[in-house]
Amino acid sequence: MSRCDFKIVLLGSEHVGKTSLVLRFVNCRFNGGTPYQNTIGAAFCAKTMQSNGKDFNIGIWDTAGSERYEAMTRMYYRGAHAAIVCYEPSSLESWARLRHWLQELRTVEEECKVYLCGTKKDLLDAGAVTREVPEDIVATYSQGHRGHFLTSSKTGENVDELFQKIVDDCAADMRLMKNVEELRLQLMKDEAIYKSKRKDFCSC
Amino acid sequence: MEDVLDEVVSSEDLQKFEKVFHEQLHQGKVTHKAQFEYAWCLVRSRYPTDIRKGILLLKELFNSHPDGKRDYLFYLAIGNARIKEYNKALHYVKAFLEIEPANQQVLALERQINKRMEKEGLIGMAVAGGAVLALGGLVGLGIALASKK
Ligand SMILES: Nc1nc2c(ncn2[C@@H]2O[C@H](COP(=O)(O)OP(=O)(O)O)[C@@H](O)[C@H]2O)c(=O)[nH]1
Ligand SMILES: [Mg+2]
Repeated sequence: MSRCDFKIVLLGSEHVGKTSLVLRFVNCRFNGGTPYQNTIGAAFCAKTMQSNGKDFNIGIWDTAGSERYEAMTRMYYRGAHAAIVCYEPSSLESWARLRHWLQELRTVEEECKVYLCGTKKDLLDAGAVTREVPEDIVATYSQGHRGHFLTSSKTGENVDELFQKIVDDCAADMRLMKNVEELRLQLMKDEAIYKSKRKDFCSC
Repeated sequence: MEDVLDEVVSSEDLQKFEKVFHEQLHQGKVTHKAQFEYAWCLVRSRYPTDIRKGILLLKELFNSHPDGKRDYLFYLAIGNARIKEYNKALHYVKAFLEIEPANQQVLALERQINKRMEKEGLIGMAVAGGAVLALGGLVGLGIALASKK
């Protein structure tokens, strides 16, 4: 079904900046002026990226984050190759949610590559908010995972770097790449069959 | 490219939430959450009968639980678009945009619906409201029949 090579899912509590991160990455812009729009269910975005000179289609699922949607969120992270788990450095509550997702991913999706992402770096830099989540704790938690990025969707800082790291890691994963190749082949076969069937139906 | 209208629920997920819903139904008390989760799976099913069932459940929620209106409107639009009831789908999109005119997800959905109508040769007829609704039904039926072969 999916025509994406890599599936990435975004997790984290409401309002930490998941949607803004995806929009910054995919559209290179930031909607600071509009009022907050709580994501409904889950939203899908796709983008083509390169790693080592090769093209990859990546599909990104941005989830809602509210606990009301928890059952659904699980459906979206299932089978994900990578997860970006977001928190706001100025919010201990969002850090607690992050730990919850880390735990779940570890037990349910062992294969998923996990990236920690501290959001709204511009606000920290400007002193508009104060850090509540100690850096050494973040460093400790990051060790067991693929990386930690401190991003700003407003300025774009570290956003491309985060997604590039994910795609590079996926492309370097031999087992994953074998699956990707097989899936691409299967898709080509399916399409050929579909096309020949369509011909039978057409009366013109 | 894959989009929100193409997304299909897995049969395990559908069954899981169906079970919860039916258990609650037996006990005589269905929570909004269980009904919404089940309906949300149904409208993402590949079978139009499921989708129609999901639409009914969502309509019921819409009328009984104002807190979730946003979610219900959004998935009512998706469900209707998936059974090619594009005019109804656009009606829900409009209702949503009246509350949140700049919602990116809903604006994207509107674009997708319009694209599909265009692809299926339905654009331009949108003004003839009722006629399109009837035709939409026929097209849906035709496709359902074709896929049974
Ligand atoms: N200054 C600043 N604000 C941000 C940033 N990212 C998100 N926001 C704001 O934080 C709020 C929540 O963002 P959103 O992406 O919708 O969060 P989500 O609920 O996790 O999807 C919005 O008002 C955004 O404008 C950022 O990098 N810098
Ligand atoms: Mg969001």
